[in-house]
Amino acid sequence: MKAPDFSYFEAQNIQDAIKYKSEDDEAVILAGGQSLLPALNMRLSSPSCLIDISKINNLNEIKIEGDFINIGALATHSDVMNNDLINEKLPCLVDILKMVAHAAIRNKGTHGGSIAYGDPAAELPAFAVAMDAEIVLSGLSGQRIVNAKDFYRGLFETDLKSDEILIAIRYPFLSHNQHLIFDEVCRRHGDYAMAGLMARVELDKSKINNLDLVYFATGDKPNIAQNTAKLVIDDRYDYEKLKKSLASEIDFAGDLNSSSEMKLHLATILINKILNKLER
Amino acid sequence: MDDIKVNQNPKLGSMDRPNSYIGRSLPRENAKKHLEGGGQFVDDLVLPRMLHVAFLRSPFAHAEIKSINVEEAKTSPGVFDVYTSKEIDEFCTPWVGTLGHLGEMRSPEQTPLAKKIARWQGEPIAVVIANNRAQAEDALELIEVDWEEKDAQVDMETALDDNAVVIHPELDSNLFWTRTVNQGDVNQAFETSHAVVETKLDFARHTGVTLESRGIVADWNKSEGKITIYHNGQAPHMMQHIIAKHLEVNEGLVRIVSRDVGGSFGIKVHVYPDEMAVAAISKKLGRPVKFIADRLESFTTDIHARCHKISGKLGVDKEGKILAMEINDLSGIGPFSMYPRTSAIETNQVLNLSGAPYVIPNYKAVGTVVFQNKTPMCQYRAVGHPIAVAITEALVDKAANKIGISLSEIRKKNFIPDTAYPNKTPSGVPLEDLSHQASMDKLLTMMNIQEIEKEKIANLDKNVLSGYGVISMCEVTNPSPLFYGVGGAHISSQDGASIRLEGSGAIHLSSSITEQGQGTEAIMKQIAADQLGVSMDSVRVTLGDTDATPYGGGTWASRGAGIGGEAVLKAARTLKDNILDIAAAIMQTDKNSLDVENNTVIRKNGGEGITLQQLAETVYYRGHELPKGTNPELLATASFLIEGIPFVFTNSAMGCKVSIDQDTGIIKIDKFWAVEDCGTQINPKLVEEQIRGGVIQGIGGALFEECVYDDQGNMQNATMADYLVPMAYEMPDIIVDHVTTNSGRSIIGAKGAGEAGTGGAPAVIMNAVNNALKHHGTEVLSQPITPEKILKALRKI
Repeated sequence: MKAPDFSYFEAQNIQDAIKYKSEDDEAVILAGGQSLLPALNMRLSSPSCLIDISKINNLNEIKIEGDFINIGALATHSDVMNNDLINEKLPCLVDILKMVAHAAIRNKGTHGGSIAYGDPAAELPAFAVAMDAEIVLSGLSGQRIVNAKDFYRGLFETDLKSDEILIAIRYPFLSHNQHLIFDEVCRRHGDYAMAGLMARVELDKSKINNLDLVYFATGDKPNIAQNTAKLVIDDRYDYEKLKKSLASEIDFAGDLNSSSEMKLHLATILINKILNKLER
Repeated sequence: MDDIKVNQNPKLGSMDRPNSYIGRSLPRENAKKHLEGGGQFVDDLVLPRMLHVAFLRSPFAHAEIKSINVEEAKTSPGVFDVYTSKEIDEFCTPWVGTLGHLGEMRSPEQTPLAKKIARWQGEPIAVVIANNRAQAEDALELIEVDWEEKDAQVDMETALDDNAVVIHPELDSNLFWTRTVNQGDVNQAFETSHAVVETKLDFARHTGVTLESRGIVADWNKSEGKITIYHNGQAPHMMQHIIAKHLEVNEGLVRIVSRDVGGSFGIKVHVYPDEMAVAAISKKLGRPVKFIADRLESFTTDIHARCHKISGKLGVDKEGKILAMEINDLSGIGPFSMYPRTSAIETNQVLNLSGAPYVIPNYKAVGTVVFQNKTPMCQYRAVGHPIAVAITEALVDKAANKIGISLSEIRKKNFIPDTAYPNKTPSGVPLEDLSHQASMDKLLTMMNIQEIEKEKIANLDKNVLSGYGVISMCEVTNPSPLFYGVGGAHISSQDGASIRLEGSGAIHLSSSITEQGQGTEAIMKQIAADQLGVSMDSVRVTLGDTDATPYGGGTWASRGAGIGGEAVLKAARTLKDNILDIAAAIMQTDKNSLDVENNTVIRKNGGEGITLQQLAETVYYRGHELPKGTNPELLATASFLIEGIPFVFTNSAMGCKVSIDQDTGIIKIDKFWAVEDCGTQINPKLVEEQIRGGVIQGIGGALFEECVYDDQGNMQNATMADYLVPMAYEMPDIIVDHVTTNSGRSIIGAKGAGEAGTGGAPAVIMNAVNNALKHHGTEVLSQPITPEKILKALRKI
């Protein structure tokens, strides 16, 4: 379990990192290293070079920009959890991050890293999709912004181009009648979930006006369940009906801890859990 | 709680005297060392000219090596050489994992590296020797092997079928060992039973997951003809014999050093082919060689355990008295029986221990152990106990439910009475000094089952199912020579201790018992200081070095306190006696008027004493002042072994309460209770740590841990992310209490305490889960009890 040889480049600024990356297809970005380094040590990956962006200044800033909260790519999960702005404006993210691995990993793992890596079982990609976040990418031809739901394309496949680096995620504010509610079912605390759900709910008094359901740990990427969300708005919770709908719009992929059948069941149950949380 | 007084044993003297340390929860000194990073583990060791190795391991469960080409790998940067079995076998003879005392066992010869055929995924087939591990791993990728994959015999249930893949053609089948125990006449007893219940349980393979992985540094010194092995094992003298025998070195010139060891659980008491290869390489090259297993190697090459399917049948009369029990156990052990302890012991313990707390006049047990193409399986903490206890206690619960009596009542009706020892298990193994009745009574008081029942009923209309279980069990501890030695294994059942008073007045103690994190050093120190009458901080301990400690067995089978501790006690008493003899001569008084307190020889009737330092200085430096003929011996050595019975048993009663979320299948253990009777507790806090830690490992087996294999015999979850061990969040409150029945086999009276938690927790958790599921007329009979199994039982998926 020792990494194969690689070269190492410590980027001083984002332009350097982009330039280096554009010149070497085999190079990869190192931020917190919580997914990359185990993959290297298990020799599942053998990049030519690690471009270390962790020393770049100001890339971990968390600030308000217009109608968005902007989280710099290098902000660690712990930075985000302990940030006053986040606790005030986006407290649900703090609760979500409590479910992300364990303290030691959260001290190193970065927000941008988790979003860019796009693990379908991770919480943050689904959160970004449910929040309709904007993902800020920087490349040779400058910056561009991609909506989170367009960013994730397939299993560990994103819209990130080979010369680009993810530099920030911009979350729109939730209005007073909007809520982001989440839940997940894990074998152990801190594990990747057997199934998880991020739901953005817009209420008109107690009636659900609008609902987005985004699942994680269910398929190849954050899975949006649009039709199922409509059914929930119309009929509230009907297990059989919702299960059937989910089965038709998500291709559930089983893993070691839960079969696809189990995931479908849990995905259905999670809607009820979310609705119960909403009532509380 | 650092100075509680417990279980006074009259043979040990008053607890109200200075330096009475036995029975006190004193903090252990070496915990501080480990917290501060001051430990010395095998991987911390750096020797001049040391080489590192990495093994090429079979990617297949069963495959033939048509050809292997290591030439390119040899040219890789930093590589010293690359060996296959051809080079290694010149320096290491093969071994066979069989013993003579348990009937016929059949296992073929095993060599450090597979010769022609690899028989499990992870079996080593070649080794790269390089300047560092990373370079060795780089070169592994350059070894070319022409593999011909063969059909693998993965499933143990079909291993004896006519069309099974016979893993060792020289044996006519995959049968390793079988044993039948038959006491009385079960068939007749079942016929006359009022009720007969049956069940069938399934236990997945799991493994030990030590914090520190296996490691070895072998250092052959050609000029001395001596090999020193730094090894994180449990039994240095056993390894000394093994290395001498298979490397063909004079046994007196083999030194095994086991300093700090980060957990063992029985994983590190076996002979591993990769470690033997490292010793052979060092002898071949005359250089120190290091191997540290990485986590992936640990999962696929550390021994696995459990892997049983067992069916059972229990017959009771109208009142619930047990008339007969019958079990039939099948176990799969991988392609080889492990050396030197064999892989028969787990099944043997299942046969020995099932039904052990109860009077069962008719008992039949059949065990069958087969080969398969998976990682070798062998003895791991609580060998066989989880299976024996789970089948017994599941059947007892079923019988209680069938005839309509409570879970505690049926047990109380059938216990061997506390006053009826010595006695025997249903299989005929001698038992003594046990307390199932008193332990169960104490457990029931702690649990308050009436309250739990009320809560259970109140929860019935909610989404959460509640359930509880209670169990009783026996734990094998302190084995005698009848365990291994009688079968021909060079594994000492005797342990020794050596204690000396040094010129400074300090006490040095060495013992053949070893420490893997459980606090051995601390309890040895407590016994020595207590018996000598000195302060704890004046005792220094040396363990784990065959050149420096007395000969003995080491730490396994919960034998450290009961056997090694008794040896320390005896040696300390002898040394004290010598000290008093010398003091009486110096002080010109009657020996019986003297005692040792606080490192000073005192006059019991008052008056000035002399310190041990003064006494030692007189003996060592001014011996001419001593009266002629005074015995100047300030070193005492003693040994102890259990005679006449196979084991000293400990007993436990355990209870737990669980909640099951009917939507998700997630099981929460709300609370866990354990009552243990391990006789004298030398350090109650360490005993309770053993019980709690054991319970946590039992929770692992019951709910989480499983080595998952695909149909081709590939392990699917060989990482710490995918192999689930219980973590802090999954650990319930574990309330521990004690009943104390001292063992009559020793002065100290201590029985073992290391394994009951692991042996009992799976049974009580499974019983509690099925107690909860009973409301829905369903049950789960397979461990680990996963959320998916719960949901399937509840027909939710």
